[in-house]
Amino acid sequence: MSAALPIPVIQLFQVLTIAAGAPGVSGVISRVEARLQGRRGPRVLQPYYDLAKLFRKEALAPEGASWVFLAAPLAAFTCYLTVPLLIPVLTTYGLPLGYMGDILGGGFILSLASFLVAVAALETGSPYAQLGASRAKTFAAITEPVILFVVFTVALITGTDLPYALAATVRSSAGQIIRPAHVLAAAALFMVILYETARIPVETHTGTNEFGMIEEARPFEHSGPYFALLKWGSAAKQLILYTILINVFIAPWGLASSNHGGAVLLAIVALLAKASALGVVVAVIDNSFAKLRLFKITEFASAAFLLAVLGVFTLYLGGG
Amino acid sequence: MLAAYAARTLGPPQAPGAYTSGANVIAVLILLAEFGMFRQALLRDQVRLYMAQSGLISVLAVLVGADRHLPELYVLAALSAALKVVAIPLLLRRLLRGTGPAGHPEGHPAGGLTGDADIAGSGALGLASTVLLAIVVAAFGFFAAGALGIRSTAAPLTALSVSVAVVLVAFVLMINRRDVASQAIGLFSLENGISLAALVLAASLPLILEVALLFDLLVAVVVFGLLIRMHHLTGLRHGRAESLSTADLTSLRG
Repeated sequence: MSAALPIPVIQLFQVLTIAAGAPGVSGVISRVEARLQGRRGPRVLQPYYDLAKLFRKEALAPEGASWVFLAAPLAAFTCYLTVPLLIPVLTTYGLPLGYMGDILGGGFILSLASFLVAVAALETGSPYAQLGASRAKTFAAITEPVILFVVFTVALITGTDLPYALAATVRSSAGQIIRPAHVLAAAALFMVILYETARIPVETHTGTNEFGMIEEARPFEHSGPYFALLKWGSAAKQLILYTILINVFIAPWGLASSNHGGAVLLAIVALLAKASALGVVVAVIDNSFAKLRLFKITEFASAAFLLAVLGVFTLYLGGG
Repeated sequence: MLAAYAARTLGPPQAPGAYTSGANVIAVLILLAEFGMFRQALLRDQVRLYMAQSGLISVLAVLVGADRHLPELYVLAALSAALKVVAIPLLLRRLLRGTGPAGHPEGHPAGGLTGDADIAGSGALGLASTVLLAIVVAAFGFFAAGALGIRSTAAPLTALSVSVAVVLVAFVLMINRRDVASQAIGLFSLENGISLAALVLAASLPLILEVALLFDLLVAVVVFGLLIRMHHLTGLRHGRAESLSTADLTSLRG
């Protein structure tokens, strides 16, 4: 059990944990959400069945759509599976490929994936998918500054912008986790994650398509395995963002500090448990707020921006 | 000075102790409550937010008192809580009773008795623009206080910067909102910012001075109370729905 695992295998496990665990976390969220609404809700494993079903179906493309339409889901999924290599998913120490990119690098790869999906949506010629793509890009532009300021906060605290360094700083002392800059940056990041994962108060995740006008509209024309890849990809993106919030900002505990098999296994279980706990919080938020009108999303973004900017201010002046 | 500045900006700052972090977090929460006042659309919520902000001041006073062994701060915290968390909100609610939304006559359960006036549209700017403007103003306050180079033994210096920011953001609130109730709340929360600064800079200020400051606040409450009543009465005399907008005062110019 406690046999030492080779480092490349642990690196592989990082990707596999995200890929295999992501639909499960989505399942937990929709289950909890349904229970809170007094419904029985789908099985926790339902997203896996959905994916399996979609992979067996035939794929159709709209007339006139080029290869971009079919390549985008694959490319986006590849992007989503690249990011886990850069962030502390399972280990406290940086794995060899972990220093390929910093937080900004991970952010770029996530934006690239989102860009590819938007291009594919434009390719379809369907007004609904195009509307979603255009809205997603519009609001991405106003959440971008928030991410930048969160990165600035991290950089001011640790002197680098490597996610591993911040996680180590947070673990180093309890005073670190309640300092205002850290709390503000984590709160701002959480609000951006609510936006990025298409949750209330920005949009509804499940239910009728009319309400999911931003993220959920984009894969409207995709079908079969391609649609499955897009769904799986967005679940993976959700788990990646949760992992960044948990393992870098809020609770970087329970990570493996050695390369023993038992420690890594424990880290996998701990990550999925923490992500599910965060998912429960998200489900509670989903059930306690109303969806914002489209024009009010800027106000949501401005609140997140306020938190991030105040974080940098307090840090810059007197090391708050 | 320059060396300290460079040390602050270049190297990774050390994590401050738990007391400093806690005090800073409370100070930042006070500032966030101030920003939250931009958003509140109902008078009742506005008053509630003011209560929360004043409560945070009392908590901070207790924290500073416990850490610096200043027992008179407990008295101050209790007095300030009694006045700002209980008395003033109660008074404001009584004054604002009957300023329900148009169409709800006084005594109507939906608005009349609760002081549920809708003050959402009284801002001169949109919410997002107001917040951005207030961020700029708060930044000015932050850097102005940082440039003073004050050293304090009682509470962390970040809290002083925050208190200057609270005062300036309260000004933005008072300038931006046109209804008299928000302006009153803005003035009272401005006083909260000053209390915060007093706690940071001179935690051992003689109690009598602090209490005198608190009672100054009561005078402001009475003045604003009169103003709100006047609005209410003129609104009734002219036979239209009660308005809280200060735009009505323009006609009083000589």
